[in-house]
Amino acid sequence: MSTENAVITVDRVRKSYPTGFFRRRVLVLSDLSFSVGKNEIVGFLGPNGAGKTTTIKILNRLAFPDRGDVTVFGEEAGRRSESRRRIGFMPEQPYFYEYLTAGEFLGLCGHLNGMGRSEISGRSRLMLSRVGLDGADRTAIRKFSKGMMQRLGLAQALLHDPELVILDEPMSGLDPVGRMEVRNLIREMKASGKTVFFSSHIISDVEALCDRVIMLDKGVKVAEGAVDDLVGQEGIQYVEIQFSPVPPAEWVGKAGIPKGAVTVQGSAFILRATDFEEANRWIERFREAGSQVRSCVPVKRRLEDIYVEQVGGRNFREAGMPARSEEESRDG
Amino acid sequence: MGNRIFAIAANTFRETIRNKILYTILAFALLVIVLSRFLADLSVGELTRIIVDVGLACIHLFGLLIAVFIGITLISNEVERKTVYLILSRPVPRWEFILGKAVGLGATLALVTFVMSLTLFLVHLGYEGTPEIGIFIASAGIYMELVLLVCLASLFSSFTTPTLSAIFTLSMFLIGHVSKDLMVFGGRASSRAVRLASDVLFYLLPNLENFNWKNEIVYGGVHSFSVLLLPAGYMLSYCAAVLVLASLIFSRKDFK
Repeated sequence: MSTENAVITVDRVRKSYPTGFFRRRVLVLSDLSFSVGKNEIVGFLGPNGAGKTTTIKILNRLAFPDRGDVTVFGEEAGRRSESRRRIGFMPEQPYFYEYLTAGEFLGLCGHLNGMGRSEISGRSRLMLSRVGLDGADRTAIRKFSKGMMQRLGLAQALLHDPELVILDEPMSGLDPVGRMEVRNLIREMKASGKTVFFSSHIISDVEALCDRVIMLDKGVKVAEGAVDDLVGQEGIQYVEIQFSPVPPAEWVGKAGIPKGAVTVQGSAFILRATDFEEANRWIERFREAGSQVRSCVPVKRRLEDIYVEQVGGRNFREAGMPARSEEESRDG
Repeated sequence: MGNRIFAIAANTFRETIRNKILYTILAFALLVIVLSRFLADLSVGELTRIIVDVGLACIHLFGLLIAVFIGITLISNEVERKTVYLILSRPVPRWEFILGKAVGLGATLALVTFVMSLTLFLVHLGYEGTPEIGIFIASAGIYMELVLLVCLASLFSSFTTPTLSAIFTLSMFLIGHVSKDLMVFGGRASSRAVRLASDVLFYLLPNLENFNWKNEIVYGGVHSFSVLLLPAGYMLSYCAAVLVLASLIFSRKDFK
């Protein structure tokens, strides 16, 4: 990503917070650098405490880096009011003024963004409808469920039609239908020319939506790139072939099948070949033994596998637990 | 800029006006003011003075409770509940946020003080039969003191916890009513350093006696709002200085 075309650039940012009675500083971000280009959807992945929310706060000038440069639309993040008008932001688990109705709250947001009364009214109705909160403008926010709060958070972020949308855990607290709606909304944002930068724990959402992914662990960037690049161009981990009926045990013993490449499930004999060439060889030999192919599926690496390699394994090991096995990771 | 400050102030006004604690304190204050009429019946001599004296003391005390206990939570609640993220991530400079919150609470205090003083005015009118405009003059003085305390509460809550903010603000209230005495007693000290320190403290600490017109009103010495001009100037200058300091502290605050 060339920085000339970048909407967000984060350059060697370091951030620490003072903690405890003696105000000892704890490092949260360490020399973090990345950029987000125009009209990209970029996912920000990492475990709890990785520094995702801190980075997002710095982008919104809610926190200040110890050192390093952060620019949004080519200007120091949030320094000028004008650049903040071009950003829509939804914090993690957004809290609202519970004594307000949804309409009153969006009215406040609109006024703070310098919108006129009629514009606020029209955009509020449109946004509430787009996030599935039609007719909720007169409902007190204290009566909203967690999912409705999340939707209202999205509505306020999009109210002023920003060019850049920054979302901190937008799928958190949503049911599967809500998650799908948010995914569609993010796709619509991209289609309308917006840039979207969002953090998430839900890897499948990131994989399904993002042009690029940035992985963070303990304040350090551990991976960055397009999803396809991260999982590999071909992306095939192995080929899984299912045969039926199960061939005779004696034949299997003499066939030279590698240890650990076989699973028997009921009447199915499942074999894992390293590539298609090897798969074809095994199919021929099993046919000769009277066993037919029921399915042949190339199993691709998924973003989750990369995540576990980069982040999960390390964290599990540090916690004295074994990293997830390939089987577990395949099952999600 | 003005629109944003007004939007934050209007929201703060709405927040405080929908706060049940405010109504509880206000209801209790109104009850005491009304009861002061019966207290006068039980007293000997200067009956109307008792109504005005008790009523104004009541406006002062309950106004202080509202100013301190709602004032200290205004900014800290926004930070704790993270609602501040939704305001400051927009094109809103942090000083506008601080000023908007203070203006909003100032508006609430104006309404509450007016309701209490109007109640006292009507109770007095019902008892005495003649209107006492001085009640509104003394109440305006009390209001100015409360606004100054709200600005101090905003300053304290921009860098410390609500409990400490309450302690600091109440301390300022107490010191503010004896700050002139501090200078007088300090001036009698033999040490030049002590005299200098008492002078510096006198000018740094708020002099809340500037706003105290209660005795003059009770004894019928003041009949014009013009007496409030100088205290209003003092209040505006002091509040401006305190809010600038609060904004400077708040402007580099990290929200964890």
